[in-house]
Amino acid sequence: MCLAVPTKITSVQGNYAYAETMGIRQKINIQLIENLVPGEFVLLHAGFAIEKIDQREYLFLKKILNEMMEDDE
Amino acid sequence: MMNDDKKIIRILEVCGTHTQAIVKSGIRYILPNYVKLLSGPGCPVCVTSESYIDMAMDLLSNEEVILATFGDMLKVKGTFYSLFEKKTKENVVILYSPEDAIVLAQKNPEKKVVFLAVGFETTAPIIATTIKNVQENGPDNLFFLSALKRMEPILRFILEDDRNKINGLICPGHVASVLGSDAFRFITEDFHLPAVVCGFEAEDIKKGVHLLLDQIDGKSPVSFANLYERCVRTTGNKLAKDYMEEVFYIEDGYWRGIGKVPNSALGLDKKYQNLDAKYKFGVKEKIIPKPSACQCGEIILGLKTPYECKQFAVSCTPENPLGPCMISSEGACSAHYKYGKVVF
Ligand code: SF4
Repeated sequence: MCLAVPTKITSVQGNYAYAETMGIRQKINIQLIENLVPGEFVLLHAGFAIEKIDQREYLFLKKILNEMMEDDE
Repeated sequence: MMNDDKKIIRILEVCGTHTQAIVKSGIRYILPNYVKLLSGPGCPVCVTSESYIDMAMDLLSNEEVILATFGDMLKVKGTFYSLFEKKTKENVVILYSPEDAIVLAQKNPEKKVVFLAVGFETTAPIIATTIKNVQENGPDNLFFLSALKRMEPILRFILEDDRNKINGLICPGHVASVLGSDAFRFITEDFHLPAVVCGFEAEDIKKGVHLLLDQIDGKSPVSFANLYERCVRTTGNKLAKDYMEEVFYIEDGYWRGIGKVPNSALGLDKKYQNLDAKYKFGVKEKIIPKPSACQCGEIILGLKTPYECKQFAVSCTPENPLGPCMISSEGACSAHYKYGKVVF
């Protein structure tokens, strides 16, 4: 349950944003992050963005997570 | 690497994701065999006490109550039962986010929804934000039963235990991204142990382990390092810390297999007492000594590895877990069972 998942912000509306996580589009809470704009990347945990990350880390984490998920199948 | 007396070197990691990444990457097998990587209390579900599950079970006997929880919690046993054994389709709902509990409560106005708030400081700010939102905007039929835990007190507890032989630490990456890397400097400053914050790529972990080994071997001075600046700032996420401070107060916590650890838990502050399930329903934590075939306590403290437990992979498997470390996929026994069989 501790997993934080790399997520890309697509649009922002107040405390919420639409975002893409591992290919899935969803609404997330962004109350814990200041000044978030579309195109930026965050770590998503339990429906909330918990920290901003850069694109390199986003791609890194996405790759690791994909590998973990393949292993689980 | 110099290590003339061939003493065992123990490096403790305290993050469920690191546990999985380390086991899966096979890093253990490329290190000299006197270097042991131990998994500490990094999985919040694993350390949830029997008495907390018992409290949830008490709530379940109230027909008005729906329990809302993260899925991992279902298999964790209380003194006698797990939620899985006692739930019906209606009275336990698995959620992905605490915000989903708001929707659940709105959809069931005649019921009282209780969210089982479990996690470390990665999850605590999220729950704090949800609690604050509920206080401000409702609904008024949603309550929270907190078993939230703090990382620093349990690390201090482990390092102060005379039996522990830990030589270095890999700090939890996600907790550090919320609290900031500075929150872990005490490991070096107070215990004079090398400590590193590192990422989750095999390369990141290898780099972190090498940095620790160099210091343990005396090749470089003992220090604290943040190798994960890409995600972890020195002071962390201020907003997240502010929310936690606003909503919670620090109290003693009960840890499965370990017992009471001072100042290690987060309870709802008086201002939010109206949303506290303990207060609302009058449930109390009754501490009962733990039954013992399972050695999760020692594993969580870094005193043993899963392979040293006689039950491991014999009478204890993910299908039939005896202890919390096998229950959660992030638990040390479960991760070793899944990825580490090569050792047999
Ligand atoms: S293998 Fe099972 S019984 Fe042994 S410590 Fe792990 S969870 Fe407990």
